[in-house]
Amino acid sequence: MDSLVLSNIGQRPTRTLISVAGVALGVILVILNTGLVRGMLNDRIRREQGVGAEIQFMRIGAKALSPSSAMPLDVRYADRLKQIPGVRQASPIGHYVQSANSGLGVEVVDGIEFDTYSAMSNLRIVEGHAFQSDDEVIIDEFKAKHGKMGVGSEIPVFGKKMKVAGIYSPQIGSRVKMSLGAMQRALDAENKCFSILVKVDDRDKQEEMVRRIETELPGNKVLLTRDIGLSYGREIPGIQGFVRAVMGLSIVVSSLVILLAMYTTITERTREIGILKSLGASKAYIIGVIEKEAIAISLIGVIAGLILALIVAFGIERATTLQLEFHWTWILTAALIGLGAGAIGALYPAMRAANQDAVKALSYD
Amino acid sequence: MIYRVGKVDVNALRGVDMSVAPGEFVAIMGPSGCGKSTLLHILGGLLKPSLGRVVVDGEDLAAMSDAARTDLRRRKIGFVFQRFNLFPTLTAEGNLKLAEHIHGNGKRGVDEGARREILQLLRLENKMRHKPLELSGGEQQRVAIARAIINRPAIILADEPTGNLDTENSTIVLDMLRKLNRELNQTIVMITHNPEAAQIASRTIEMRDGMIVKER
Repeated sequence: MDSLVLSNIGQRPTRTLISVAGVALGVILVILNTGLVRGMLNDRIRREQGVGAEIQFMRIGAKALSPSSAMPLDVRYADRLKQIPGVRQASPIGHYVQSANSGLGVEVVDGIEFDTYSAMSNLRIVEGHAFQSDDEVIIDEFKAKHGKMGVGSEIPVFGKKMKVAGIYSPQIGSRVKMSLGAMQRALDAENKCFSILVKVDDRDKQEEMVRRIETELPGNKVLLTRDIGLSYGREIPGIQGFVRAVMGLSIVVSSLVILLAMYTTITERTREIGILKSLGASKAYIIGVIEKEAIAISLIGVIAGLILALIVAFGIERATTLQLEFHWTWILTAALIGLGAGAIGALYPAMRAANQDAVKALSYD
Repeated sequence: MIYRVGKVDVNALRGVDMSVAPGEFVAIMGPSGCGKSTLLHILGGLLKPSLGRVVVDGEDLAAMSDAARTDLRRRKIGFVFQRFNLFPTLTAEGNLKLAEHIHGNGKRGVDEGARREILQLLRLENKMRHKPLELSGGEQQRVAIARAIINRPAIILADEPTGNLDTENSTIVLDMLRKLNRELNQTIVMITHNPEAAQIASRTIEMRDGMIVKER
């Protein structure tokens, strides 16, 4: 039976290629989307957690990982936070969300108070200098390298060109930073910020500090930075739904391609199905032949999809600042989706073949 | 055997009563539409008769479900068709192995000695690596015969096996069938339009309008 399956696969190379492409497309969809979601979130989480603040203080309803350009929080909360015993430093931060230069995704620009922020996070300028005017920004090394930018380059923010005054390290927060004051003026949000980063004296007492801040400044959201990773599924609305939708779409695409390919195949091979029946092949045997062929095609599709996804991911990372992160569970899920969709897609044609009338099938031209 | 064509019932076979002894070679002749092929398909379990009994090697096909008839076909029937009906993507060897695989329910059960004997008898030893389209019509039909007999079925049902062959190849194929019948004591029922082909059989049945009209 295996030689029949293999010879059938080789018999119609175009059909096989189209089927393989269909399954590969589904696999690529799953791998790239989950890789992108995971990569971008983890990259953002790592950078958020790298700012050196144990606590983030924000208005209720604000979301740490999906910042908006809104500045709902009064910066004077920073002074009140500093007065709370156990708080070492508080640094207000603003966000401006704009389309990424690559055209893929969005870019967040941080508005920071350079002195408090750099003291808290150990941010240091490795080239050039900190922003000194409203039309200057600093960028991190990653953006400088991938965007092929340096000191003196221009970068669009607020729809106008801003000058890169310096390059900083390490990679923390957003990759582009400007003066909080300049951001407030641009957004017409005097004395406002998005959130306040809080550094405490004793890291071991950060939970206690959260409770203390909640008591002292009620009606606000006080979040442990280390929990940002745990809550990302809840923080970004619809992210799990998006991933599920992509998976569902992949299953539908792969199944339909295999269904159409195998349906065409069994019509073409009606006579051969009749021959199998004349040889005494049972319905299960005929279903097995067609399912094996579909699964073999799907397997090739899965392998092709995995390879192509890795190549595309490499290209995306080279061409943009987007980060992709693969995990074996998602790779396995994508592979199972590809194989499962192939098997499901072939089921109807296989059953139809198995139920064909042997005499009619044998006289088919 | 009654077929329904549109809204009309067609009696393809009307009270056919015949028996074939083990080791016998029976030819069935008759004009087109007389019911020869229907009879062959019923004998092979591809069709279920509307009425009556069809006993093959002690088992009544008429009383069986579709799955049971398929199983009996796997165990006891070998078909040879006018159009050869080989798998075009498989080599001659692949075609034989597939028949063995189906017969053995996923296992190959034919011993090499018996296999070699059949291939020698049909003069196919050097043709096993070829695909059907690389073989002449006569060679393709010999491969089809080898496939039909490889599992040593109780009966071979041949539906005009020389219908697509020229005279020379027809003679070779008929010679092979006769050899199989004589040397391996293979039971064969063969449909043919060709009186010369029918002459090699030990008995000839003539049909007309779904009935047996003459036996000799």
